[in-house]
Amino acid sequence: MPDGSFAHPQQRQFNPYTDNGGTILAIAGADFTVIAGDTRQSEGYSIQTRYAPKVFRLTDRAVLAVNGFAADGNMFVKKVKQRLEWYRHAHAKDMPLRAIARLIQTMLYAQRFFPYYVYNILGGIEEDGTGAVYSFDPVGSYEREACRAAGAAQSLVQPFLDNQIYFKNQKAAAGQTHPTHLPLSDVLSIVIDSFTSATERHIEVGDGLEIFVVVTKGHSPQGLESIRNVQEVTTRADTDRMFVIRRELKKD
Amino acid sequence: MATADGGAYSYSLTVFSPSGKLVQIEHALAAVSSGTTSLGIKASNGIVIATEKKSSSILIDDSMIDKVSVICPNIGIVYSGMSPDFRVLVAKARKSAQSYWKLYGEYPSTRVLTQEIANIMQQATQSGGVRPYGVSLLVAGWDITRGPSLYQVDPSGSFWAWKASAIGKNMVNAKTFLEKRYNDDISLEDAIHTALLTLKEGFEGHMTEKTIEIGVVTVPSDADLAAGKIEGTGRAKPTFRKLTEEEVRDYLAM
Amino acid sequence: MEEALEQPQLRVFLHPLLHPALLPVSYPRDIRPTWSSIMEYNGGSVIAMVGKDCVAIASDLRLGNQALGISSNFTKIFPMTNRIFLGLPGLATDVTTLKETFRYRVNMYTIKEEREIEPETFAHLVSSTLYERRFGPYFIEPVMAGLQKAADGSLKPYIAATDLIGCLNFAKDFVVAGTASSKLFGVAEGLWEPDLGPEDLFETISQTLLNAVDRDAYSGWGAEVYVLTKDKVIKRTLKGRMD
Repeated sequence: MPDGSFAHPQQRQFNPYTDNGGTILAIAGADFTVIAGDTRQSEGYSIQTRYAPKVFRLTDRAVLAVNGFAADGNMFVKKVKQRLEWYRHAHAKDMPLRAIARLIQTMLYAQRFFPYYVYNILGGIEEDGTGAVYSFDPVGSYEREACRAAGAAQSLVQPFLDNQIYFKNQKAAAGQTHPTHLPLSDVLSIVIDSFTSATERHIEVGDGLEIFVVVTKGHSPQGLESIRNVQEVTTRADTDRMFVIRRELKKD
Repeated sequence: MATADGGAYSYSLTVFSPSGKLVQIEHALAAVSSGTTSLGIKASNGIVIATEKKSSSILIDDSMIDKVSVICPNIGIVYSGMSPDFRVLVAKARKSAQSYWKLYGEYPSTRVLTQEIANIMQQATQSGGVRPYGVSLLVAGWDITRGPSLYQVDPSGSFWAWKASAIGKNMVNAKTFLEKRYNDDISLEDAIHTALLTLKEGFEGHMTEKTIEIGVVTVPSDADLAAGKIEGTGRAKPTFRKLTEEEVRDYLAM
Repeated sequence: MEEALEQPQLRVFLHPLLHPALLPVSYPRDIRPTWSSIMEYNGGSVIAMVGKDCVAIASDLRLGNQALGISSNFTKIFPMTNRIFLGLPGLATDVTTLKETFRYRVNMYTIKEEREIEPETFAHLVSSTLYERRFGPYFIEPVMAGLQKAADGSLKPYIAATDLIGCLNFAKDFVVAGTASSKLFGVAEGLWEPDLGPEDLFETISQTLLNAVDRDAYSGWGAEVYVLTKDKVIKRTLKGRMD
């Protein structure tokens, strides 16, 4: 209308969420855990950056991978880290992995009616020294698993892991059983294969790969020696050891 | 009713005469027989088709006349009879080859294309309001299943495969000549020369690169076959081509 | 865990002809059929893979009515010639129609040409047939596997797939289609390798299919696998998870 009003009712809506693509993945071993994520961050068909970490070190033995809406993810990690620091001040020790998992549930569910639009995978070493992976939905439902993929290429990677980690649809040789945990070298090859495959077939996955490896205190990180670009990020002696592997993924 | 002009049966195409003939088809064959001679010879490594090209006046620009036509990269045809009818058939045959390409992503085999043309010609013998095509055709082509093949199609729509054949004014003499000359392991080069010799028999006037036309089918080499389709076009290397005037002149000089 | 939280903005596939704006106004809104996607209506998936001098094609056996399972014996792979197998995942009614259409067209070709159709030619026939219905397509994404006669008489592996309007995709490694296609892509990309012999190829395609359909609610309920070699066709029916 000439006076600036509208002839028909107009509806406008603000969408506070975006999907920033990318994929994360974690696999638990008997005495180690591998947590990985690609580093591409995209919005629609545009790549915002080729290096945006999605995997974060929380404590000496806990690593959190966050995927979905990057702004929510970063804020969520920041808040988790803050809660862990408060815990350290109050109790003079790091929060155990299973407690971090429960904390994450509580924090996610607190936002039940305006959720953080993120899928979390927490990996690390339990108090008993075993490798552990906890996976979450955006509102805090979680479980402990041996492996989990999440994000844009979840549908590509998860059935591959079912087959290679859980030996789904495979029959063990006569008189033998499938191993419940794989050695680190096997797990690393599976992780790398998963990401190269996802990069090949999914436009939102690629650029770089960051793999965190946490190894139980006193156990040898056997299987890492053959891998290029391994950086040890352990901060204190006499704790679990932590390593980061950085690799290139295809950029197209 | 056996009058010289064919009697009452000669006008209605779709009515048999009591003797079982469709007189219009016989008239069409007569039109072919008064056309210039064309011939085809199948060699061990290819096929040659050739025709004489005569213009009624020296004032006609004979470079415009095409009597050997490419239908698709692996098939070419030549005719004796009425040139307008031939042009229509060429147009229809080319359309047929292209719709085959559109459906299957490759060009038809010589036999299938010949059948298509024969069907078109047959329909003109059974439909109302039309006359048969006043041409006979020689169809020469190469395909992977049957290799080089040479077919003749007549106005009735009947067709046969030949090792060598001739159509048009001088066909009887030409065929007799070919029968004497032909053998199964003749090479394409020899076949081209035989074709020229055959045409020369009963050729009225001077035989030059301007007064004859030649088309050849060459069997692709194993290397060509292994190379398969040409990158980009998705087509195989052509196996039928017309000889240029220079090439014809060279053959005549030999 | 597996079920993602629904996004605030729901994007659903609607075929242009089923767009609400095109439906008759008299059609009451609340009883209008809602098709989240026609391609997911019956479910099902197919995959084909290339090996060394052999090819394989495999599919699940489920027929569903959206979430409801109807049959665990619904075959989606059909022999077109002795050397060509065609997989038809998509809308079940169109599976039947297209199977018959291609049977008819291949038979006509065989009679007219007096020879068997070659896989590459057949792929073009499939493409043309689907494109004929460009603006009212069959809801099928065909996948085919065959052995192509080369000029020297040898047989070389050939696989291809098209979208529902016939856009051809010739791949050197594998092609997938159906409701589990993204899962099939992921597993196949991880498991497939060049020059697999018939038995290894069988194992690879079977594992790929089974593990992919186990993560797809619309596919599964058993599977069948065909491996084509130069002198025989091996058909095997696989038991899979029935949930």
